[in-house]
Amino acid sequence: MKTMLGVLLVLTLGAVPALAVLGQYESSVSLDQQYLRGQDRVTKPQGYTLHQITVPTGGVVSEYVTPQGKVFGVSWRAPLIPNLQQLLGAYVAEVQKAAEAQTRRRGAPLIVRENDFIFVSGGHMRSFHGFAYVPSLLPQNVPAEVVR
Amino acid sequence: MTVKKSFVASLGLFLSVVGGLIVMAGCSGGGSSSPSPLQPVTPTTNNSVTLSVNLGPTGDYDNGLFTSVEVCAPGSTTNCTTIPNILVDTGSQGLRLLSGALGSVSLPSVTDASGNDIQECIQFISRAYIWGPVAQADIHLAGETASKAAVQIISESPAYPVPTSCLSAGTNGAVDYNSVSALGANGILGVANIAQDCPASECGAASNGIPQYFVCPSGSCQIASVPSTGIVTNPVALFSQDNNGVLISLPTVPAGGAATASGSLIFGIGTESNNALGSAQIYAVDSYSNFTTTYNGTEFSDSFIDSGSNALYFLDSASLGNIECIDNQGNPTGFYCPASTLNFTVTNTGTNGTSGSVTFSIANAGTLISTGFAAFNDLGGDSGGTSLLTDYFDFGVPFFFGRNVFVGIGGTTVPTGVSAPYGYWAY
Repeated sequence: MKTMLGVLLVLTLGAVPALAVLGQYESSVSLDQQYLRGQDRVTKPQGYTLHQITVPTGGVVSEYVTPQGKVFGVSWRAPLIPNLQQLLGAYVAEVQKAAEAQTRRRGAPLIVRENDFIFVSGGHMRSFHGFAYVPSLLPQNVPAEVVR
Repeated sequence: MTVKKSFVASLGLFLSVVGGLIVMAGCSGGGSSSPSPLQPVTPTTNNSVTLSVNLGPTGDYDNGLFTSVEVCAPGSTTNCTTIPNILVDTGSQGLRLLSGALGSVSLPSVTDASGNDIQECIQFISRAYIWGPVAQADIHLAGETASKAAVQIISESPAYPVPTSCLSAGTNGAVDYNSVSALGANGILGVANIAQDCPASECGAASNGIPQYFVCPSGSCQIASVPSTGIVTNPVALFSQDNNGVLISLPTVPAGGAATASGSLIFGIGTESNNALGSAQIYAVDSYSNFTTTYNGTEFSDSFIDSGSNALYFLDSASLGNIECIDNQGNPTGFYCPASTLNFTVTNTGTNGTSGSVTFSIANAGTLISTGFAAFNDLGGDSGGTSLLTDYFDFGVPFFFGRNVFVGIGGTTVPTGVSAPYGYWAY
């Protein structure tokens, strides 16, 4: 019995993505909450679950979760930009590519528009905001506009 | 429908102030209009420095708004240097200088209570950062002085690796702006509505956990407790006079642009004969330095004016009929390339309830940039995602052409008595 519990525990831990959120299962939200050390306010608007994590360094990071438990969007509004590697996981590589193509824009929002990944990072010093979402993960009848 | 129709044209003010200081430097940009010359102005203090719109030291900075700044070791008149190509940024706070631009001038470090040198990391929305120590300097701008001001030195060879807690893109995706080639300037002069780049209530104590100021005893960096005089601050707020804000005055430029343009950065608002508000309308900002812009009945509540943005960034290509510019690799450049010039009218509303309309045009950015000119009042780009309305209009440098734009610092008294605790814009 003891052995079985040990195996189960390992499997559960293994299923939690280390530092990935967008496109991953909701369990990663609690990791984010720990990482951001914030208070998580959970609400259930029509068709999805919304986690609004109040960040101690100021502002709010929101995570949008499908009924199946996958994070389909993230957004932030804060005096400092949250760690995007933490929020976006592997998608952060797409952000890098876009930044390299937008060099003539100065002091401008950073935008990524791919078939299945949309990202905007904007604002100015002490007032940053942005969002990212995966269109193919949007729940039925939930418009992309909820992620903001 | 939320559009308010009331507005007062600011043209009258434009024609009545500092007209004599406005010079069109672009000679090949076609016809340009200059404001009428007016009564001579003789401020009691020399409170004006020249602004230049040019392509900057890297030659590719469209709508780069630059000035020169003299910095000296505190109290010195000889350990000084004048640094050109400093970007004037109404979207940030305080002076930041590339280490190489200082030449042989050495400035004392700002330290914490234990004598450790304070370092600072600043994030940019483009996922870049700048990193380097905070030093003390006397900053001279025309006849004005900010004594013992905290300035950031942007290290071209940082003494310590940048702390990962400051990197918005994580360790793999971050790039630094710690060079002329990346920054496109020798430094940044931030003259925003907020004086300090982090309130003492936040960065004053390490226990608040704000990853912006650091100390690196024995090589490993941790969040610092910064003395309040060590927080990088808009030098204008530190002047002994003319310290309640600035006036940015740029000439009109013709459609299609001008090779360069020059204007004035004037210190103080309503403090001298050359910086009266006149008939300018005051738009108070919220605690994030934002106001509301209304376009086609939709409110964009986080809008701002930002001379550090080189274009008008608003809406997205999809909502404007797919006018995105595409580079020769097929990638969007983020600018707008309409087949013919588009005209817009929006309404700005301050937190004090003042409302007024702004009109602007967007021309084909590919055509504009191919001229090799630097100054464009019709350069625009995308601020948001495909099907989303973004939260803001970013009124960049194009907004400033042909206007006198006042930037009021929060906490100062507004000459007209309007309530603007977080500062204001007037134009």
